Amino acid sequence: MGSPAYISLKDVVFSRSGRRIFDGVSLDVPRGKITAIMGPSGTGKTTLLRLIGGQLRPDSGSVVLDGHEVPRLKRADLYAMREKIGMLFQSGALFTDLSVFENVAFPLRVHSSLPEDMIHDIVLMKLEAVGLRGARHLMPSELSGGMTRRVALARSIALDPELIMYDEPFAGQDPIAMGVLVKLIRDLNSSMGLTSVLVSHDVPESLSICHFACIIADGKVIGQGTPEELRAHPSEQVQQFLKGQPDGPVPFHYPAAEASRDYGLSGGAS
Amino acid sequence: MIDRVVALGHLGLTVVSSFGRSGRFLAGVLLGVPRPATGFPLLIKQLYGVGVLSLAIVIVSGLFIGMVLGLQGYTILSDYGSEAAIGQMIALTLVRELGPVVTALLFAGRAGSALTAEIGLMKATEQLSSMEMMGVDPLRRVIAPRLWAGFIAMPVLAIIFSAVGIWGGMLVGVDWLGVFEGSFWGNMQSSVDFAEDVMNGVIKSVVFGFVCSWIAVYQGYDCVPTSAGISAATTKTVVYSSLAVLGLDFVLTAIMFGDF
Repeated sequence: MGSPAYISLKDVVFSRSGRRIFDGVSLDVPRGKITAIMGPSGTGKTTLLRLIGGQLRPDSGSVVLDGHEVPRLKRADLYAMREKIGMLFQSGALFTDLSVFENVAFPLRVHSSLPEDMIHDIVLMKLEAVGLRGARHLMPSELSGGMTRRVALARSIALDPELIMYDEPFAGQDPIAMGVLVKLIRDLNSSMGLTSVLVSHDVPESLSICHFACIIADGKVIGQGTPEELRAHPSEQVQQFLKGQPDGPVPFHYPAAEASRDYGLSGGAS
Repeated sequence: MIDRVVALGHLGLTVVSSFGRSGRFLAGVLLGVPRPATGFPLLIKQLYGVGVLSLAIVIVSGLFIGMVLGLQGYTILSDYGSEAAIGQMIALTLVRELGPVVTALLFAGRAGSALTAEIGLMKATEQLSSMEMMGVDPLRRVIAPRLWAGFIAMPVLAIIFSAVGIWGGMLVGVDWLGVFEGSFWGNMQSSVDFAEDVMNGVIKSVVFGFVCSWIAVYQGYDCVPTSAGISAATTKTVVYSSLAVLGLDFVLTAIMFGDF
């Protein structure tokens, strides 16, 4: 990949409720680039972000972030490391009892001792970057889905993080809101020099902005590389996912008994 | 038969692991003391939420329970010509038992369920997760102020409940039914001991406050983050708190007042 890896996962195995989510996943996220992690729903893409952020621990394997083995970090070190990470949750996860302004100001108030007038200016700059300076007095319940994610994005960059992780940023968005988010992710990455990890199953939008992409299915990485390399990937499963074909290596039908038995036609035609 | 043994074993493991998780959770909350500059305003806000906003239900309930005690006490005691002892009966009943117990039950229903639902909803909407990812420990920021607020508010609410209840009993006994006011207050003063009766009642309410708040915040934090999960957690808070209060009340009464 050229650039040194900011995040490196090696042979990660993770199970939950008796189900194996990852079965030896290895991937590198290069520094200063946008890396898209794609895959069908339920493959554990969000779980992967939680492993990187230290909210979950793998059963085995290593998760290294900026030279630190995340699962081995002590609690205080883990929380200190997270100050360098911004994360955009799928729901936005804004604090519902705080206004837009206070939501963006929250990490600044907790982690810095900046004077109030400086916090005010920084919050307005972050809101300006996402186009919502005029919405600073609104409460989260007054925002649309797209606006909620933009406010959450402003909050996640409030501390000027080194890494930002986007969890399904395009899910459920109308075309205009999706276009705005695509532009913001691209602009933030280039203007702030961030390392970005984008988890999504929206193939066109993700491939249009990422430098590298990785597809996960059945607990493994089934393909990775630049968008061009992925489009030319020989795996049928990768092609089925990228082209959105309803049937293929991932079958349309959920495994079931013989249809004749379910319909009570076990005698069969003679 | 084997299935029943397996089910019993599974139930035992579930209960033990639940106790273990709640113990670890409590240790995490108590050991992670927030900085005074940030923790104090959060505590004040929660004291308002769980304490001040519970005042109305506590005062109204205390008034009616005191009035009922006055009425029932007068009816029974007048049969023996001892209606002058009504003040003593009302005060001892409220200060020793009904004050701490009924306040705790009301607290579990009003403030405890609200705490569970609020924390559960914060979990379901990923607010707790987002806090963690911002490098802010939700145990310190969200849970600790709520736990301490319940712990502090409960004894104060119980004292207010008992005081209002005594006043309600006086309204019925003295103002309505005509018991001599001097007997009402005099008997009460001579028979209620500050250390043995009032302080033991306060100790009870401190214990109940701690247990009810612990159950409420733990159920919210540990709930399944769905609407059904939050609903179940809220129900558990009220049921477990009520049972814990009634069970602990028996134990504490036996220790404090059981001169066997």
